Amino acid sequence: MSTDSEISFSNFGIYDVEDNLELTFPDSEIKFEKIGENAFSYFRKNSEGKIIEKMIPVKSNSIKIEVAPIRPLNHPARRTGYVFLKFDKDIYLSENSAASIFVHCPIEIGLFLIHDSNRESLDWITCNPLNSRFGLYGSPDTGTLCKYAEVSLATDYSDSIPYIEGVMKIVIENTLSTGQTVSKVIFPITDNSLYYDDSKAIIDGIKITLKKRAVVSVADVKTTLVETDWIKSPTWEDTTVGSSMEMGLE
Amino acid sequence: MPVEFLQSLSEMQIIGGLTVLSLLIGGLIMAGGFVIAKIVKLLFYKYYAPTLPKDTAQNISKLIYYGIIVISFLGFTSSQGIDLSGIMVAGGIFAVVIGFATQSVVSNLISGVFLIIEKPAKHGDTIQLPDMDISGSLLDIGTFSSRIRKFDGTVIRIPNEKFFTSNIRSLTESTVRRAEAIVGISYNDDIETAITVIKKEILLNMPFVLRVPEPEFRVEELGDSSVNIQVLVWHPRDDWSQAQPILLTNIKRALDKTGIEIPFPQRVIWDAKK
Repeated sequence: MSTDSEISFSNFGIYDVEDNLELTFPDSEIKFEKIGENAFSYFRKNSEGKIIEKMIPVKSNSIKIEVAPIRPLNHPARRTGYVFLKFDKDIYLSENSAASIFVHCPIEIGLFLIHDSNRESLDWITCNPLNSRFGLYGSPDTGTLCKYAEVSLATDYSDSIPYIEGVMKIVIENTLSTGQTVSKVIFPITDNSLYYDDSKAIIDGIKITLKKRAVVSVADVKTTLVETDWIKSPTWEDTTVGSSMEMGLE
Repeated sequence: MPVEFLQSLSEMQIIGGLTVLSLLIGGLIMAGGFVIAKIVKLLFYKYYAPTLPKDTAQNISKLIYYGIIVISFLGFTSSQGIDLSGIMVAGGIFAVVIGFATQSVVSNLISGVFLIIEKPAKHGDTIQLPDMDISGSLLDIGTFSSRIRKFDGTVIRIPNEKFFTSNIRSLTESTVRRAEAIVGISYNDDIETAITVIKKEILLNMPFVLRVPEPEFRVEELGDSSVNIQVLVWHPRDDWSQAQPILLTNIKRALDKTGIEIPFPQRVIWDAKK
């Protein structure tokens, strides 16, 4: 019986499919198969035993696929663009100080069909479904629904956990006159791009500024771009919603 | 030939100055009005309605439709040479009579206006009317009545007056909702162990249950036969079907795996003679 450590998993990147292609990720199998002159089949089985099958009619004899890390927003269903990262250890910042940390942030894997220079979203998988859950920030009536993850600190960008967690840099600046403890961060991840190299991923960072606004202390969160030579992931777009079939007039 | 035919129609008087020809022209104006109203409504739905909220789009389309029909009706009356000022005078007395006769209709109409202004629920919201024991998705708030699609797929029409004066519980107003279940365990079993295994099973097998706030457990009652534990879990508001219906299944599976007993009702009978 083989274990995950014995299996060599597929890397992120672009694949040419002329006949058959099999991709293996932790707890997920993906197969492309040529079923006709101008048609390919797509098969995916995940750790929960769920099977997805699609047929891909094409104009040419081959297809190009890009496998890339995407934002962790699709499993179990896309309900929000926000992420709630709960740090495993609280971070204490004394007055008027700043800190720069790296944290692990969950990712999903997107499969894109390449047409000329366009990337069309074909499917997505998650290699860590048990850590892909929702959380609420605020009260039930006015709060923000987020994807929730308990995250640990990373040493640097190379500390990414292949297929499961990318690394994100968080800069926290405390401009308040008292020390502050930061235990979580909630932000819209839709502005953060992902980058990959082999099986590792990094995510655009965020800068948190703890400041006074009128009489209340607030945390202002802004996205910061990563300067890297890693390949930028395409943006996953859900194509199963947003289109409708017109069945004629009323 | 057609000219002669039209001339003969214009000479055929029905009543007063009303001729068959003028009635035909009036009919054409009304028919044209209906067709134009329908076309404008369709064009509005096709090109403008998708950019507006559904209930606003419905109200505007009704305004356009009935506005064109009223204009064509005025065209019809003027083509027949009918003087509406006489009707207006008589209308005052007539309105009082009609008002008494159609009290409930007017009440529904006014309630409909207030429902549109107050907007206790929007098109597509899942609502519950506890007084009438009705739950479902609000289809629309019409002029006299509102329609709700119940969860069994049937559509129920509710007069606006009843709808307006009812308690309306919105099931989609909040970001999240709570599912609840009560389970009884044997007095011989450990409450903490039962809670731990149930929580573990829920977090493992119910992906739509929120991690924050965490599932909550309360010892509800020390019952006749069992210790009753209430389980409360939060889920995204649209995913009720992924939480409430499978909550008890997961609880039972967790207890079965650990061998914790869900006791049947029991009664100990003492025989006083022994």
